[in-house]
Order: sequence, then C-alpha cells, then structure tokens
Amino acid sequence: MIEITGLSKTFGAGPSAFTALENINVTIKENEFFTLLGPSGCGKTTLLRSIAGFVNPTSGSLTVNGEDMLSKPPYARPVNTVFQNYALFPHMTVAENIGFGLEMLGRPKSEIKSVVADMLDLVQMAPMADRMTSQISGGQQQRVALARALAPKPKVLLLDEPLSALDFKLRKDMQIELKRLQSETGITFVFVTHDQEEALTMSDRIAVMKSGRILQIGGPKDIYDHPAERFVADFIGDTNFVSANLLSEDNGKAQVRLPSGATVEARSPEGGAHSGAVTIAVRPEHAMLSEPGALIDGRLKNIVYFGTDTHYHVESEGQPTFVIRRQNQPDAVEHHSVGDSVGISFNPGIAQVLRD
Amino acid sequence: MAKPRAFDVRQQTGFTLVALSCFVMLYLPIILLVIYSFNAGTSIAIWEGFSWQWYAAAWENEKVQEATVLSLIIASSASLVATSVAVMAALATTRTGKFRGSGLVFAMINQPLMIPEIVTAVALLLFFAMIKVATGYTGIWYLIIAHSAFCIPFAYMPVRARLQSMDLNLEQAAADLYGRPWQVFRRVTLPQLWPGVLAGAMLSFVISLDDVVITEFVKSAGQDTLPTYMLGQLRRAITPEVNAISTVLLAISVALVVAFYLLSKSKEK
Repeated sequence: MIEITGLSKTFGAGPSAFTALENINVTIKENEFFTLLGPSGCGKTTLLRSIAGFVNPTSGSLTVNGEDMLSKPPYARPVNTVFQNYALFPHMTVAENIGFGLEMLGRPKSEIKSVVADMLDLVQMAPMADRMTSQISGGQQQRVALARALAPKPKVLLLDEPLSALDFKLRKDMQIELKRLQSETGITFVFVTHDQEEALTMSDRIAVMKSGRILQIGGPKDIYDHPAERFVADFIGDTNFVSANLLSEDNGKAQVRLPSGATVEARSPEGGAHSGAVTIAVRPEHAMLSEPGALIDGRLKNIVYFGTDTHYHVESEGQPTFVIRRQNQPDAVEHHSVGDSVGISFNPGIAQVLRD
Repeated sequence: MAKPRAFDVRQQTGFTLVALSCFVMLYLPIILLVIYSFNAGTSIAIWEGFSWQWYAAAWENEKVQEATVLSLIIASSASLVATSVAVMAALATTRTGKFRGSGLVFAMINQPLMIPEIVTAVALLLFFAMIKVATGYTGIWYLIIAHSAFCIPFAYMPVRARLQSMDLNLEQAAADLYGRPWQVFRRVTLPQLWPGVLAGAMLSFVISLDDVVITEFVKSAGQDTLPTYMLGQLRRAITPEVNAISTVLLAISVALVVAFYLLSKSKEK
C-alpha cells in the first residue's frame, strides 16, 4: 500500500547540513496499524510529514497504491493527518471542523451533513456538534481531530503523537479507542510515538528508528523478544546485556560461550553477526534464579519488591548487574536473601545475539 | 503584601513631578483645543461663553464639506489599497522560507517610516508633475496613490505580527484536508488574520486622514483635505472653527482606536 524506497532527507547544506532521514525502505500494508517508534530527533515525524507532503525528501520514492506521492502537493494526497496539537480551526464549530475536508473536496451539502453526523457518533461527540473548539476539553479535541481526519475517508491516516498531550487515564482509553476505530474503518494507520508501551499495545508492526534510520521492523513480539540491535533492546523494555563469545551460527541459531565457560543456544540477529566477541540480550522476566553452577554465577545484591513482581539484582564478575524479574504468587515464600551465592539460568533460544 | 523590589522607579525623587509634567504637556493643549471649540466668541484664546456655533459653522461651510468628503475618500481608498498590499507583503515575508535579501525586502516595505516625509513629498511633487505634464490628469488619484504608499508600513506591521503569532499547523491541516492554497487562505488564514487586517486598515485610515506634508505637496490646485484646509485657514484670521474640526477628527480617531481595542478584546475570549 505505502511503498517507501531509498527515502532520504537532508536539511541545510554544507558543513551545517543535517540528515533527518537516511535511506528509508519500508512497505506498509493495507489496513495495518504501523508505528514509527523512536526517541525525539530520530526522524519519525519527518518521515510522517514526508508522507503527508509537508516535507520534500531529498531523494528516494514514495508511493501509495502504486501512485507517486512526491510530485503531489499535500492537498492532492489521499492521506489525512491528526496533528500533535490537533490544529483544530478555532473559528469553526466542531461540526464545521469535521466537515472541512469534505467541503474542500466539493461534496454536496447533504452528504457532508450525513458524514459529519456519522463521524460525531463514531467518536461519541454528537452532543458537542455546535460547540466552538475552544469550549471543549483536551480529550474531546482529540476526538474531533480524529473525526476530522477520518471524515474524508482517506486511504491512510497519519497520527503524529496524538496521545502525548492527554493525561495517563485518558491516554489508556484513547489507545483502545484508536485501535477500535482502525479496525472499524479499515483505514491504514501510520502512528508516530516515542512511547514504547503505546507502540507495543497498539501496533500490528513497529519500525524502530534512530538518527534518521530504521533499525528494525517487526511485530511487537518480534521487536520485544528478538531485538536486533542494542539500541532496540535498550529502548524497548528492560534488558540485561551480557558479553559472550559467538562460537557458531547456523540458520538463525547461534552457539555462544558465556564468561563462566558454559555454552548456550541463542538466536542470531537478522542478517547474522560476526563470530567472536558479541553482546547477548536477556529480558529480566526470561531469566530464572537458580543454584550456583548455572549459566552465570554471582551474588545476590538486592531484592526489590514491586507488588506484582520481585526484582533480583545479581552481581557477577566483569558483567553489569543482571536483573531477574519474577512474578509474585500469593503464597510464595522468599527463600533467597541478600548476599547469597546464586546462579542465573535461561532456556536455550531465549537469549538474543545483538548485531553490534 | 506587595513584594519588596530592589528598584522601584516610583520612589525616585521627582518621579511624580516628571510624570505629571509629561501628562500635562501631552494633554493640556488638547484639552484647551477642545474647550475653545465651544467658545461663543471669535477668539481661540479668550473665553466668552459656551456655544455650538463653530460646529454649526464648520458643518455649513462648503469648503469644509468638500474637504471632508475628499479626506474620507482618500483615507478609505488608501487604507483599502495599503491593507491589501500589506496583507500580500506580509504573506510573502512570513509564509515563504528565508530567502536571500529578505531583510532588505523588510526594510524596503518599511521605507516610508525611515525616509523623512518632506523628502518623499518633494520627490512625489516632482514625479507627479512630470506625469501631470505628460497626461494632463489632475484628479485625486495622485493623492490616493501617495497616501496608499506611506500607509503600507502601518498596515503591514499589525498584519505581519498576527501572521507570525498564528499556528502554522492550522494552514497545514487545511492543506492536508484537501484545501488548495487559495481555499486555505480564504477559509483558515484570513479569518485568523482578520483582527490584524482590521487594525492595519484603521491605522492606515487615521494616518491618511491626518497627513499634511505629503498632501500639501501632491495636491492639485483647488483640492483640499481637512488638514490642508485647516493649514490654509491659519494664514487668515483664525477662528474656533479650526478647533471644532480638530475636535471632530480627534473624536473619530479615539472612536476608531476604542472600537479596535474592544474588537480585539472580544476576539481573544
């Protein structure tokens, strides 16, 4: 549906030039909830604005349903945007805002009226139709911005951190709401966020970005369980990094030797890794506390109780502190205490070899 | 309790005296002008009782009527032309990327503020004289063009300020929702810009209404605006009629300023 090939964007020229996007290649499928995730300044918003037409890429191509977009001005593209600050027209009512796109397309008044009514129902704002946009709350403005962008039935809806201005509770509600709207309307959503949790809960696929490049594309589970790079592993969730030695690699499976001498099967990253010194990543909830003589041995430095789970901090020589997360059971008895010699173990195929 | 301040200008010696004398210098002459416009006698300095007669005299004076009509025509036309040009200039200087020489363009738009008015007046006198010789046309368009030109910076300033404080996202949102550039301007930019446009138009109107120097140099024989008519009167026996006309001009200016203030207040809400 959306094909982006070799897309680059450089702002400025000469020594002060800044590369915002570097050789972006991505295909977004029909009816997909696709998320661009990354820290601020990673280029995710520039990429979104390139699709909308507010940024002219320096090179590359961008098509929607096979139709070239880069030669078209924003008003001629079949995409609509939900802006970060909503950008509602302050001199128009809620209904006029929602009808604006259809009005610009020159649709008959009767059609505009019925679509606006449908949209108001869809976002549950019907009682507010005649209010000015300054007279409604932030969450309601958010709904109006969504309805306004959905009303012309675009092929693609672009969302630029639309939930960042809402408070925690409202944000949770809107996450579910957005997901519902996406499946009800069947429109492809391209969602930009820096919030990894938001990305994991809502997306069909996520592209993790850093410094103008896409590091990894995959489903939430792929990205979380099998991060290809250290940055991805670190940015999404908590991770333990362990230095190890790559012995062999075959068909996605790698044998690594840990500093303790033990060898374990791990997953190799997409495209493979060089043998020799590597870093492997293990999620805190994927590791178990066991007796000494396990994959990694160490000393229990700290036990932190979190209510739903308990974190065990294990110190071992030459490695950063390893965190193990164990879900708490109502009748569990704590039989470890700080200072104990313990071991850390994890199942074969759990650890992920990182590309860098 | 008020916060103690390190430096409070109001506590400096002589503050009250300086402040008071400034206000007296500013407003006493105007107050006297207004008071003597109601003088029953013919003097502008000796009070002889209250009367509306000079207002009546001004109202019935054909010369004043003609000058008023000419002043209003010129001020309205100039403010219309200057504001239209200013809106276009402001859009060009705020809605395009920074281009080479944009600072120069800004300076050139504001040229009338920087060049001494008398220089512009003489230059226009000479320039229009050539055109008059070539075409034989001696109508009011010379005045309208000259007034429009020097009103542009006064219209440009508020429009530009408004454009700069406007949310660019609104225009992008309109373009995103299939608005072509002209539609975006008409449906989103202009309604937002309106207070700035109105302020520019009112300011231009007042500035044009008030102008003496350029008008005096540019006007053809027999043409008089209110200010040049009053200037002409000063050469003869001066009567409180001049006071009456001034008071009316003052009232119009104050009314416009107050109207604009109230308008911009209600828009903010």
